[in-house]
Amino acid sequence: MTNNGTNKENCKRKDALISYLWAGPSLILIALIVVFPILYTAYISFTNMNVYHWNNYEFVGLHNYVNALLVFDSGFLSALLMTIFWTLVNMVLQLVIAFVLASLLNIKKLRLRNVYKTLLIFPWAMPGYVSILLWKTGMFNSQFGLLNQFLAKLGKEPVRWLGTNTMAFISCTVVNLWLALPFMITIIDGALQSLDKSYYENALLEGATWTQRTRYITVPMIKPIIAPSVVITIFTTFKQFDVIYLLTQQVGSKTGSSLHTILTYAYENAFITNNYGYSSAVSIIIFALLILFTILGERGGKGEKA
Amino acid sequence: MRGKKKEKLLLLLVNLLFIVICFGVLVPVLYALSVSLNENNSLLSSEFSFIPRKMTLENYRAVFFDEPILLWLKNSVILAVITLGISMSCGIPAAYVFSRRQFPGRKAILRGLVLLYAFPSLLSMTALYKLLTPMGLINTKAGLVIVYTGTMAVFALWNMKGYFDTIPVEIEEAAKVDGASPMQIVTRIVLPLAKPTIAVTAMMILIYVWNEYIFAINFMMGSDTYTLAAGLNSLQATEMSGSWPVFSAASLVVSLPILIIFFALQKNMTTGLTSGGVKG
Amino acid sequence: MKRKIAWLLATIMILSLSLCGCGNSAAPVSEEEASTITIWHDKEDAVIQVLQKHLEELCPDVTVVLEKKSNLTEALKMVGNNPTAAPDMYFFAHDKIGVYAEMDILQPITEIIPREELDPYMGNTLEAATYEGQIYQLPIYYETLLFLYNRRYMPDDAVPSTTEELYAYMEAKTNGGHYGFVEQHSTPYYAAGWINGFGGSILKEDGTPGLDDESTIAALEYHKKFASLMPGETEYATVNTLFNEGMAHSTIGGPWLIPTVRESGMDVGVAPMPVIDETQTPISPYMGVQGIQVLKLAAERKPQAVEQVLRACMDQQLEIDLALASGCAPAREDCYSEAAIAEDEVVMAMKETAEHAVPMPNRPEMDVMWTVTGNLLTDVNMSGKDVAESAAKAQEEALQLIEAMK
Repeated sequence: MTNNGTNKENCKRKDALISYLWAGPSLILIALIVVFPILYTAYISFTNMNVYHWNNYEFVGLHNYVNALLVFDSGFLSALLMTIFWTLVNMVLQLVIAFVLASLLNIKKLRLRNVYKTLLIFPWAMPGYVSILLWKTGMFNSQFGLLNQFLAKLGKEPVRWLGTNTMAFISCTVVNLWLALPFMITIIDGALQSLDKSYYENALLEGATWTQRTRYITVPMIKPIIAPSVVITIFTTFKQFDVIYLLTQQVGSKTGSSLHTILTYAYENAFITNNYGYSSAVSIIIFALLILFTILGERGGKGEKA
Repeated sequence: MRGKKKEKLLLLLVNLLFIVICFGVLVPVLYALSVSLNENNSLLSSEFSFIPRKMTLENYRAVFFDEPILLWLKNSVILAVITLGISMSCGIPAAYVFSRRQFPGRKAILRGLVLLYAFPSLLSMTALYKLLTPMGLINTKAGLVIVYTGTMAVFALWNMKGYFDTIPVEIEEAAKVDGASPMQIVTRIVLPLAKPTIAVTAMMILIYVWNEYIFAINFMMGSDTYTLAAGLNSLQATEMSGSWPVFSAASLVVSLPILIIFFALQKNMTTGLTSGGVKG
Repeated sequence: MKRKIAWLLATIMILSLSLCGCGNSAAPVSEEEASTITIWHDKEDAVIQVLQKHLEELCPDVTVVLEKKSNLTEALKMVGNNPTAAPDMYFFAHDKIGVYAEMDILQPITEIIPREELDPYMGNTLEAATYEGQIYQLPIYYETLLFLYNRRYMPDDAVPSTTEELYAYMEAKTNGGHYGFVEQHSTPYYAAGWINGFGGSILKEDGTPGLDDESTIAALEYHKKFASLMPGETEYATVNTLFNEGMAHSTIGGPWLIPTVRESGMDVGVAPMPVIDETQTPISPYMGVQGIQVLKLAAERKPQAVEQVLRACMDQQLEIDLALASGCAPAREDCYSEAAIAEDEVVMAMKETAEHAVPMPNRPEMDVMWTVTGNLLTDVNMSGKDVAESAAKAQEEALQLIEAMK
């Protein structure tokens, strides 16, 4: 591995080759399992693959995209705004709550730290659909849910937790936080653990308050560590489907709210048609939109994402 | 003296806070526990109490003896171990290279990886099915392993790469001067320093494999090939059949191994870098 | 150098892993394979045990593997024409045959069993099994919703025979957490009974939605006043628990509810559906026919075994036992002269309801109708929106979605 070879060009190429060898297996897997389905979806979006042409589908050009524009009506626009709002609210709450809890977990003399951590992590260990089902029927049910039974004990009127858009939004956010916080707490906790304690000692000596320490030391220092996980969580939140769909929109147990994110909207307006060509076109357009947002977001956030 | 007292009071408050929060977080879980211990086959009741009036362990007996849960457990463990092994042995070197080396295409790939995350995966199942069928991988564990490792590969690479970035290069350079080979640098220096992120990433992959059921149901044909999550899903009470208590009991049983592993891994997640480890 | 080799090996390993097991899809049918029939189903264990036992006796030379699939309909779409992964038959409700027939993965039953041999089956079960003139399902048993009441609160002589009587009963008894009557009022499957009773429809026979037909709108309008006397949230678990705990005196529910409520000690009665005053027709719920569908691949590759199993499933005793195990009604007319069936109150009530019941549409278009109708019902019953307006909007949406299917 001598770097001072005479032929720099050659050496560079060799270096790159080695890098690709190291990264190769991972990249191959990603190409197979992640990239291929996207390409395949793009391919299908140009065909008329649907129930009526299952085995004999053919190219139909941009036909599906023309139809797909029907989905992108005013309903879609409000779903899009809702999705952005949903992502924002959820991310802010997640980061703040996780940061506060993780900081508290790092108080030196907290002996039961590991017990709390394990308990807090429990939501993570359960399969998501089970938890959502438990929340929907066990907690939010307006007749028998725990929340309303509790309200009844206090002598209050029962609440339809998922009945209106606002209530449904709040309820879905609570469930999403419940599901997502364990990961965020773990990440931030890990980041806090890895911080250099000597910075704090200096700051303490200089008489910095907790807020000052948080603002000038902790946050800037954990930022690069947690950034990748945060980026990933932003996407997961943006793409969140299960929470909203299972809580409010399952056929047979609709609750009366018409809360939609782009994915649930696309589901109700495209995916249920069993027309793979059409729903692929919708997916590709959504994908393109997300990419656009990412690029805009990156410009706005100026390289905050590693 | 006053400072000490204040500190103690604060600690008490923090403890109280955590107890309240933990209880709050666990309410749905306790709910499931209560349903699973209940004799009546009902998810709901007008007079719910955390301690059921008619207690029974029958549902847990049913989970272990009426369902092939041990077989499912075996399948899940095999899948989890292999997936974890491949994911980490592919992911760590890839993350390392992307963090440390400069090579053409690096930036483009990194940017591309984030964007890949934006794809709504609702539709990828059909595509993967079309991919695996000609390879004869439908209905095989190898097929599932590939799907799982591939799905988690972006996360693994991206997450670990981010952490590697925060480990100062100087430590490695020092080792290099001492004549350590790149392989030695990774195994002796980088890996120990990156323990927390490796633990978290491994945990994430493990939980994903453990709880994933959609691929498991669709790509595996017989119920003897099911994983725990897939088996659990088939137990799910539908309108016409199924038992809520057994389902709740099974859900808790399925979550338990994850909790145990998490508890065991916690040390690794918390002993991060020693002082001076992180550049600002 | 060493690590290069290590990585090369790892890559090769993964590649070989992904290539192993290739190319067994074109293999000819072996003898063992030809005498094995895999049947997917979504039924409870009790039903399947009965079926397994009978099939073992009736066709001893065929190995029948019964496989429970929790997402049978999606899985079939994916594997339907893959000989290594697809089942040979599936045991499921009739309402998906349109989709699979259009996908060309189903074999018409009449190409295996002559049409005249199906004559003993009840006319509406065969009607349910027919899509575009072809019979795609061998019916086994069917279910309809039933009017169920709790004798402790609603004595036999208080059972309403018309919907107005029901409404009067609800008005009198609904207070303080008690309900005279509950149903899943905003679930299409349940609301369909009211819509059909008014002569309306969710999906017409020609595959066009009927949501803004006058009769459908009239039904929704009328049904709304009943919904207002029920709890707001009425998914399955809520309605079930309300009835089970005696907080609702009566309900419209499936036969599957009966064992559960009996177990909790309820003296449950089954009555004919109330007659809708305005149209003089009883509430006419959907009828779901459970039966065997044969995949085209299986019919081509192992015709003998397929025919044997199908013929076994036509056995009268098998039908009776399966119907009793599932709590549903047998599809063969001649079963009803047997004592075991004739004496079963629930089965006979279902037969009576079935005379007015409408087979669930089996057209592919129905897939989008469930969602659209569900939204319409929620808008009308829960959000209090104008019926005619919502119906028109839903109709337009349905038309658009159906257009998008093609």
